[in-house]
Amino acid sequence: MKAPDSLFRRLLLWLLLPLLALGALMLVQAYLDARRTADRAFDRLLEASSQAIAEQVQWQDERLWLDLPPAALEMLATDAEERVFYALYDDDGEFITGNARLPGDPRSDDISGEAMYYDDVQWQDLALRQGVRRTRLEDWRQREGFEVRVAHTREGRERLTWRLFLGNMAYIGAMAVLAIAVLLLAVRSALRPLTRLRRAIRRRDPRTLAPLELPLPRELAELRETLNELLARMRRVRANQERFIGDASHQLRTPLAGLSARAELALRQDNPEVWRAALQAMQTTSASTARLAVQLLSLTRLNNPEATPELSALDLNDIARQAVRNAWNRCHRDGIDIGVDVCDSPVTIDGIDWQLEEALSNLIDNAGRYGATHITVRVNATPPELVVEDNGPGIPAEQRLLVLRPFHRGEESGDGSGLGLAIVDGIARTHGARLRLDDARHESGLCVTLRFPAPTPTETKQ
Amino acid sequence: MRVFPIVLSGWLWLLPIVAMADDDSLHFPARETDRENTEPRELIIRGALDVPQFEPVLEDFHQRYPDIDLHYRNFSTLALHQHFLDDDTGTDVVISSAMPWQYRLANDGHGRALDSPEAMAWPDWARWRDELFAVTFEPIVMVYHETLTQRFDHIENHDDLLSLLEDEREALQGRVVTYDPARSGAGYTYAIEESQLSPRYWELIAAFGDVNADLVGTTGEMLEGLADGEYLIGYNLLGSYARDFVRDHPQLTVVIPDDYALVVQRPVFMAKHAPNPRTAELFLNYLLSEAGQRVLAERTSLGAVHPALDGDGTASALRKRLGDALRPIRLGPGLLATLDDLKREALLSRWNREYQRQRNDED
Repeated sequence: MKAPDSLFRRLLLWLLLPLLALGALMLVQAYLDARRTADRAFDRLLEASSQAIAEQVQWQDERLWLDLPPAALEMLATDAEERVFYALYDDDGEFITGNARLPGDPRSDDISGEAMYYDDVQWQDLALRQGVRRTRLEDWRQREGFEVRVAHTREGRERLTWRLFLGNMAYIGAMAVLAIAVLLLAVRSALRPLTRLRRAIRRRDPRTLAPLELPLPRELAELRETLNELLARMRRVRANQERFIGDASHQLRTPLAGLSARAELALRQDNPEVWRAALQAMQTTSASTARLAVQLLSLTRLNNPEATPELSALDLNDIARQAVRNAWNRCHRDGIDIGVDVCDSPVTIDGIDWQLEEALSNLIDNAGRYGATHITVRVNATPPELVVEDNGPGIPAEQRLLVLRPFHRGEESGDGSGLGLAIVDGIARTHGARLRLDDARHESGLCVTLRFPAPTPTETKQ
Repeated sequence: MRVFPIVLSGWLWLLPIVAMADDDSLHFPARETDRENTEPRELIIRGALDVPQFEPVLEDFHQRYPDIDLHYRNFSTLALHQHFLDDDTGTDVVISSAMPWQYRLANDGHGRALDSPEAMAWPDWARWRDELFAVTFEPIVMVYHETLTQRFDHIENHDDLLSLLEDEREALQGRVVTYDPARSGAGYTYAIEESQLSPRYWELIAAFGDVNADLVGTTGEMLEGLADGEYLIGYNLLGSYARDFVRDHPQLTVVIPDDYALVVQRPVFMAKHAPNPRTAELFLNYLLSEAGQRVLAERTSLGAVHPALDGDGTASALRKRLGDALRPIRLGPGLLATLDDLKREALLSRWNREYQRQRNDED
């Protein structure tokens, strides 16, 4: 767990584990094979020896008789100087002669036939391999059956098994080394494109957002495409930002240039009346410029993805009333009829009060600025909505998306900054609300709806 | 295990082959040594090897390791075998001239492996695995009385003997002695080995029957009879005993046949359940070492096997003199065949048939 996770290690682990398991299995198999081979080779000796003994069995003096050939025992001893044992049993399992009482052939009489029976037996603490030959006398008159049992210790077999096994093990070991080497190379070469990708990314100019161009295997090509899509999005975002900054500076430069020109003009005169008029005009301009700056600030703040505003439960009715109260004086002065239409019961949502008030004031302001004479602020309960409806000229349907962009204004330019609806849009996004622009219900005009998500039930109870 | 006692009982009446009177055991008590803090050590050797023959070896060993309390007890070959089977935990080392019986014990796993440098260096033809080591080299010989050479030719080999027996049938009636294979385990072993070695063996047995050769149970009996002049020729005597005996009886001559001569080797092994395995190993290593073998060669007539020794009384010297004629009984599974009951019955009946052939023909 200490070492950082590595693809290389993970691949190697999952490839090596089965390989090692397979290797172990092969070793076991090789050992069993070697043992079987050795047994087969040495069982031949048991067979030959028992044959040599069986050939010497005769019927003599009314009994089975054996003239034991020493060579039969010498044969069993092998180079390993095994301990050898032999025994002759008659058909009834009676011991006739031998140097050890060896167990017999457990198979039933009819199956055995002439086939040798081999078995590993334990005789007085010695592990023996024994062969049993069941046969009968080849005599016309006497066809007495008998069993020749021969056995020897396993040293020669074990030695041969071990030798064969060592041979196999060397072979398997070489295979394993080769396989591991190939595996290392394969894993390394499979991971090489990843290194290439990393190098390509690291080598890039940090300011460029150009797409990555480099040939990669399919799996990594997908990653490259995803990366390129991200880069394209970032390019668009940056273009938007650049345009916004350009527009903003342009917007700020125009009134500032106007102020500067106005002051210069006034300074050429000596008439204090003219100065006063100029100062008054300059005050108006600077006030609207200040408002523009405030709006830019709040838009920037709203668009800042890092900011996480704290939402609190609030009543939309209060917000609507407060907004109308704030706008009342100005509307009254401009001869605009403003009304509020709230619900009977509180409409509670999670939100930030100053932002919502700002949104409403922007909308009311906008409506007034574009010539509406009648503005209604309405609150709907289900779903929770804030609606501002006016009887102004409205916005054609095809332009409704465009007006949400900063510095976009309707066809006739009033003295608006073009930021109002953009700010409202930002606020709506902060609240997770949907901003909809529709035609007004009765007359021409615009109906702006902010539809909020339903609050979580616990908060409704509060 | 019902049959086993019967198998053995077939052999039991052979017991008095090498039976000795009272001087059957030897005890070298542990002596005080300079070395203190040493545990008292013990060593129990059981053998079928006459005390006077073995004593120089045991004495020399005890001088080297005086802190060992050394017991030796001599048995007849079959009594030793039975004694060991009855209780294999009271014996450390077993030595016996009965090669088949020794081999059988080792084959059945009663031996303990010895992997010392001495054991590794021991010649392959005189060992079986790391368990059974043949430490002596004793040819089977003929012995004749000087009267024989005064009246007849020298005999140097089996062919001479056969010719002599056939030519001088009348003169040698009852004057020839050999082992009775039915009564003596040693005689039986030689008979079975010789019958496999030489196709003319049965002619020789027939010739023995012709001269009514006396059949006795031990080499000792044969030597006594020869010394008395009762017998002129003794056949198949244990060379080690004969050499000793002839030294005191100049009228006798030992002949190692130059056509073929069986060689008996005494196999020795450590018991698997030896109570004192450490001292047993010490003794075996000593017996296989050059020093121990030199004692065997120079102070006994048992003959040394160690390849580095080539003086008088060693296998190397005998081989140099007799070459291929020496036929050591092979220490191998063939010995088990010797012990087969049916085999024994078959051989003895053949032997008797051959021995009585001429007589029957005459009848």
